[in-house]
Amino acid sequence: MDLTHTNTKRRNRQSHHMPIERSQKLAATGKAAAEADALSSRRQRQTRDRNTAGKIRKLFRVGAGIDMPFLILVLVLLVCGVIMMFSASYPIAYYEQENSYFYLFRQGGFALVGVLVMFAMSYLNYEYLKKVSLLVLGAGFVALVAVFFFPSLTGVHRWIEFGLFNLQASEIMKFAIILFLAHWGAYQHKKTNTIKYGALPPLIIFVVTAVLLFFEPHYSGIVIIGILTALMVILYGGKIRWFVIIGSVLVGVVLILAVTGKLGYAMERMDGWGKALEYVDDEMWDQTFQTRNSLYAIGSGGLMGLGLGQSRQKYLYLPEPQNDFIFAIVCEELGLIGALVVLTLFGLLIWRGFVIAMRAKDRFGTLLAAGLTAQIGIQVVLNIFVITDWMPNTGISLPFFSYGGSSLIMILFQMGIILSISRTANMSKI
Amino acid sequence: MSKGSKSKLMRRCMIIMSIILLLGFGTVGFRLTQLTLVQGQELQQKAVDQQLTDTTINARRGTIYDTNGKVLAQSATVWMVVLSPINFENDEERTIVSKGLSEILGLDQESIFAKTKEKVYYSVVKRQIESDTRDKVLEFIKKIKEEYDISGVIDLLEDYKRYYPYNDFASAVIGFTGSDDQGLSGLEYEYNEELTGTPGRLVTATTGNGNGTEMPFQFEQKVDAIDGNSLVLTIDETIQHIMDKYLEQGNVENKVYNRSVGIMMDVHTGAILGQSVVSGYDLNNPFTLTDKNAIAQISELVGSEKEKAESEALSAQWRNKAISDTYYPGSVFKIMTAAMALEENKVNDKSTFNCTGSYTPVQGVPPIHCHNTLGHGTQTFAEAICNSCNPAFMQIGGSVGKTKFWEYFQAFGFNTTTGIDLPGEASGLFFNSDGSMTDLDLAIASFGQGVAVTPIQMVTAISAIANGGELLQPYVVKQVLDPDGNVVKSTDKIVKRKVVSKETCDKLSEILELNAKEGSAKNGYVAGYRVAGKTGTSEKKVDVNGDGNNDYIASFCGYAPADDPQVCLLVYFDAPLGDNYYGSGVAAPVFSQIMSEVMPYLSVSTQYTDEELEKMDTTANSYLGLSISEAESKVEADGYTCVVKGDGDTVAAQLPAASTRIPQGGTVVLYTSLEEVANGEVEVPNFSGMTLAEANMVAATYNLNISVQGVSGISDGVVLTQSTAAGEMVSPGTVITLNFTTSSNYGNNNVM
Repeated sequence: MDLTHTNTKRRNRQSHHMPIERSQKLAATGKAAAEADALSSRRQRQTRDRNTAGKIRKLFRVGAGIDMPFLILVLVLLVCGVIMMFSASYPIAYYEQENSYFYLFRQGGFALVGVLVMFAMSYLNYEYLKKVSLLVLGAGFVALVAVFFFPSLTGVHRWIEFGLFNLQASEIMKFAIILFLAHWGAYQHKKTNTIKYGALPPLIIFVVTAVLLFFEPHYSGIVIIGILTALMVILYGGKIRWFVIIGSVLVGVVLILAVTGKLGYAMERMDGWGKALEYVDDEMWDQTFQTRNSLYAIGSGGLMGLGLGQSRQKYLYLPEPQNDFIFAIVCEELGLIGALVVLTLFGLLIWRGFVIAMRAKDRFGTLLAAGLTAQIGIQVVLNIFVITDWMPNTGISLPFFSYGGSSLIMILFQMGIILSISRTANMSKI
Repeated sequence: MSKGSKSKLMRRCMIIMSIILLLGFGTVGFRLTQLTLVQGQELQQKAVDQQLTDTTINARRGTIYDTNGKVLAQSATVWMVVLSPINFENDEERTIVSKGLSEILGLDQESIFAKTKEKVYYSVVKRQIESDTRDKVLEFIKKIKEEYDISGVIDLLEDYKRYYPYNDFASAVIGFTGSDDQGLSGLEYEYNEELTGTPGRLVTATTGNGNGTEMPFQFEQKVDAIDGNSLVLTIDETIQHIMDKYLEQGNVENKVYNRSVGIMMDVHTGAILGQSVVSGYDLNNPFTLTDKNAIAQISELVGSEKEKAESEALSAQWRNKAISDTYYPGSVFKIMTAAMALEENKVNDKSTFNCTGSYTPVQGVPPIHCHNTLGHGTQTFAEAICNSCNPAFMQIGGSVGKTKFWEYFQAFGFNTTTGIDLPGEASGLFFNSDGSMTDLDLAIASFGQGVAVTPIQMVTAISAIANGGELLQPYVVKQVLDPDGNVVKSTDKIVKRKVVSKETCDKLSEILELNAKEGSAKNGYVAGYRVAGKTGTSEKKVDVNGDGNNDYIASFCGYAPADDPQVCLLVYFDAPLGDNYYGSGVAAPVFSQIMSEVMPYLSVSTQYTDEELEKMDTTANSYLGLSISEAESKVEADGYTCVVKGDGDTVAAQLPAASTRIPQGGTVVLYTSLEEVANGEVEVPNFSGMTLAEANMVAATYNLNISVQGVSGISDGVVLTQSTAAGEMVSPGTVITLNFTTSSNYGNNNVM
């Protein structure tokens, strides 16, 4: 163990494995401290599997083994999220549930469960996930089909109802696709530049998923899953021209659907997009009500915000302020400065997630951690696009902030996997 | 895995991360900056607009009082129904609510439904609903909440409604308000700004569900409503009622087609004590037609013609005939001509005027007849007035000349409005607006034809004669009170100009008194009050009822007492269609009836001639020797108050003694023994500075009788001197004469 010439234990470098040239290159990008050697990790793993002392050491090094900056960022975001969720939700909870703490207690419970799940997952050897990746993908499809057998909420089928909480099928599917494509990318990494191995499987998965989501309907799910699929394909080395071709086909399909009027619900949503502040007709004015009030909230915040708890738009003006539009309340209460602080926290989390990905001991870990981290980033960006009227209003939640048990637990579960990857990435260097 | 592919993977990770962080988060940061810093204020304004509920707090409209503080118009709290249309969720709710409200409020369901569609937080459905309707609305609100779970859509807010306790009393003067509490006619219109007050505002941050729940913020700003100012009129409710009563009676008896007018003015100040247009209309229901002729005519019409006729009839009903309509004053105007001639020294006691029954003022035109076609013969100036002789007045007018006539016409204020504080005042009409006229015009104008004046102009001009030559500006509001009752504005006498000399006026008063006593105006005479007056019968030059005959205006204008005029009264009947259409037959009796009640009410001291006194039994009878109970009932039957001193059975003495003068309603003290007379003496109180009412009260407690002299009736009259000095011991029942003066004089000449 060589601890003397590095900043932290988790940033141990094994520069002797690395050519000087590459080391300098990485240093130039500012990420010089992080790297992993797949061969080395494989050797380590074998050693660990066979070595009881190694197992004990692993148990002994629980706290130190995971990436602390990432963990702290997750917990800070989670605490901020729960506080803001409480601030945003107490009026609506008071008026609709007659209990100001209704959402806080539930979200607090979900957060506790989620944190437990996260720590539990951080202990799991993520390589085990390879074995269940196909199973999870299957489960994702089952969930997507299962939603049609549950009663619709406001005309859409997105949820599987369990007694205590509802599970959004697309949440499972997002994870399933990332997991499967990470595994596929690692497993077939020599062939991922071919259409047969690199393009077709993800395309088929995406098309089937998209068709199912189309009928739920859940268009934002299609968008997110589409972006995630594309990201995974890019990550494992897909060709840019595939996207050009598939993109053209997609545009064609959307155009055909639009012209034949099959996109009813989506078109409706698209109608008011970007025009929340201008009155065109009653119907659209009603439709853009939530977005408009979101803009009012964001604008009201100004630079400094009205102060924590001082939002006025949450008093039954902004519908469901605790859900997708919570960031509007963040902006109103904490102002641009507060919003940028939260964005910075997310940015740091994403940076740290990619650091872990790049330090992962194997290709699967890298792809998985990068995919899961990217999902956070994509949801943050798309969520804010929605609340600022740059994207149609279609149910994209803000990780850690939006109220909802299944998505919060799912996100913390995924954070646990990243932590697990960080743990093994470190282990490989011990 | 090869190192090359590994490094490619790393590079792709870096690219993806950079895209997310730089491109994704960058645009997000840009967008948020744009919304908060660039569009922030605009968005915040819109947010605040929807968060703040601005509720108008209605100001209570001021009260209108008569001169003695009786309420003539008052606002009472009622309610208004408002909708919060923004809170309707669907058309089903809108239908339920609009149907229910239309049934309760008696409104059209369609129109309420249209209101429920508005994109506003606040829409008034109906104002001024009373408490029984409010209860129904409250029940309905409860019902839709329970049965359909609709809430936050109907609200009841405080509102005010105008009540006029005397209904049609002084309707032309007071006027009425519209549904938004705004004055539409009369004083309500003229003084709308004063009466309205300033509505307050309550700005609160409320929740978005629209039921007015306030946010838990210190976000409330209240601007209290400032209630409207109140008006104190110069109109005296008692006088007005007396005028209304007799004018109405005159209307009926003489089949008056176009309503009648009465104006009574305090000749010293120009204050209007009463102003009637009879028949009036109910101020509480101003849109109900009262004119039977109009109702009959309209009932025969249909469609738009009917609507048009109805609205015309309503505006006629609301019109204040006394100030908005002009008429030919007829013979009443002869007072003006006479005043001009006297002032210009064109006539004197020795002047004579010949009347042959007709007169040709201008060669070549047919002669103009006198009402006495046999002719009045040779008359003095006074006789010409008493005869109301047209030929004489054509001669008098001719002596004044066209230029002077026009000058005086202007000087008496006939070519301009009087400036009375009532809306819609008209001005008189001369032959030509530049004052030019022909000789014939002058001749007929001399007896009041061809020049149109308003009744208010006429009474103001005659008041100028009565008060010694000053043309005053008439007014009906003497004080404006703030909501706490403080006087914020008060109107006093406004002298416009001195028109004629006191001598001219005195001379005219003398002649006009004679006229009322034994001349053409004798029907207007009131015993004891020295009335000076003149009748007027003028041609309308219009046939109002289509019977082929010209119709007339019968009027009478006069003042009293002639030696010290207090009030001037003009009564005027527009188109009496009964047997008699002369001013002497129609208007003079009504003038007399009104004055004979108003003068005692104003406590103007009587000045009976000896002849009159003999006729009047105002001396005490003898009750001596009667049993007490018998005497008591006799005293009361004679119209006096009885006080018994002593405990004997028969009347031994009485005060005032039999055959001595005793005021009507005075006190007779009966003594059962002569000793009581000496024992029961009371000390005379000091009446100085008391008003009539106070003096009456004090005298009653001392069992003294008071006899009134001077200007006690004018509201500010106070006692200046008393016939028996304060402190002297007198027997109860003694008559003490009090000399009244106006309080301003009292202040200046305080003799005590």
